[in-house]
Amino acid sequence: MDIENLIKDTFAAHERDAPDSDQVLAATRQRLDGRRAVVSRPLAAGAGVVLLALAAVAVVALNRPAPENQVATGAGPVAVEAPAKPAVAELTMPFSLGWLPPGKADHLARRINIGGSAANPGTPVYGGEYLMTVTSGRQVLLVDVQEMRMVPVDEAAFKSGPGRPVTLAGRAGVESAHSGGPGGYEVYLTHPEGGSLYVNVAAQPGSTATEQQLIDFGRRVAENVTFPGTTKITPAFGLGKLPDGLRMCTFDVEKDGARTSYSIGTCATMPPIQARLGDPGQVHGTAGRPVQGHETRYQEENGYRTLWILKAVHDAPVAVAGSVAQTELYAIADHLVLK
Amino acid sequence: MADYEDFVRAHLPRLLRYATMLTGEREQAADLVQDVLVKVYRRWSRVSDAEHPDRYVLRMVTNDYLSWRSSRSARLVAVGDPPEAARPDDFASEHAAREDMWQRLARLPRRQRAVVVLRYYEQLADADIADLLGCAQATVRAHARKALTTLRNGLRLDRMAQAKES
Repeated sequence: MDIENLIKDTFAAHERDAPDSDQVLAATRQRLDGRRAVVSRPLAAGAGVVLLALAAVAVVALNRPAPENQVATGAGPVAVEAPAKPAVAELTMPFSLGWLPPGKADHLARRINIGGSAANPGTPVYGGEYLMTVTSGRQVLLVDVQEMRMVPVDEAAFKSGPGRPVTLAGRAGVESAHSGGPGGYEVYLTHPEGGSLYVNVAAQPGSTATEQQLIDFGRRVAENVTFPGTTKITPAFGLGKLPDGLRMCTFDVEKDGARTSYSIGTCATMPPIQARLGDPGQVHGTAGRPVQGHETRYQEENGYRTLWILKAVHDAPVAVAGSVAQTELYAIADHLVLK
Repeated sequence: MADYEDFVRAHLPRLLRYATMLTGEREQAADLVQDVLVKVYRRWSRVSDAEHPDRYVLRMVTNDYLSWRSSRSARLVAVGDPPEAARPDDFASEHAAREDMWQRLARLPRRQRAVVVLRYYEQLADADIADLLGCAQATVRAHARKALTTLRNGLRLDRMAQAKES
């Protein structure tokens, strides 16, 4: 037999050796839950905890003042006239950025729920992350700044090669850089509340940056991170009052709120309910009870239920979904703050 | 993160099969894909924004495999001697030939194996493989050529040895 056909036949014959999908999915969920449950130190009075109580203010987060390339910290929120209906609450990031590489920055800001601490498993611990694309001429940089509360500096793992000790802004850490390989520049700095702060600056595939550029940018981003966060993020819609026992665990918000999603649950394990901005083309299901005057569609598949609220944010629908009872989805949907 | 769940459910079987071809071993394939899925979860917004999220995750599996095996070499299951080579009159010869090839593939350097898997299992064009591995098409062709040469030479040498013994 031709060797190339023999190789193909060999692979085809061994497809049956692949692990079972359901088992791997279950194990992955356990690992995600486990990561949430094991945190070295509790985050006392984390900034994220106060998110639900934020007053409605109008500050455009991460809008970069042009002259100095500074990231807005949200320190000076501007009050606006109270609207007739509840305003969408802005979200405060657990930490703020003080500097970004020059250029136009698109960003996604996230709050990540990493479960309870070992000492207080019932108290949620949160971390934040900024994922940014900074474009300057033909150079496109990917910048990721993330709290890794479960990863102490001495357990740092690099994509870009072996790490070396570094001290930035008085914080000890380890860094690694490889301009042409995966990872670009990476640094883990000691986090004031335990774990580490991770900064990664890399050139987007197809773009180029010298190793020294990446190092300079990455170090400067890391040096200018401030805790606790004051940066305000404006989502496309808000959660409003949640049913008893449920909390906002995570949020993902793109610049200008173009993409908004929340995870809702007890935050001690993987959050079971999602509320997210969708696309009209994604909507399926049969007509359900109207929510806040909006038509709805409801679908159920293998116990996973989705309630679509049509034209919830201008023409875009919002989905509330999870493997929970239909009544629980409606209880959340009825209190969403829609535009 | 419902999108994440949907994505994983839709693509997990393929990712597991692909990881099995890369690692040659069920448990390692499961470990590799789990590692990647945890990363995908944490970076879902970036993954889902990619033009082809499935290709993006395939690249993550490949990259993790390329760095993963070297850092976890102690966990690698030792590959034994190839089974007795197939004889033309053996009714199980095709099966034996495949098992022989499976073990020869396992001994290839990992980058060569990745190229072979992408080309002959995933059936990707060399340009797509180059894009996925972040290298030139010429490099892909070089890896493939070396791998095929190694496999062909190994088969030829074994056949010569058997001919001498008989």
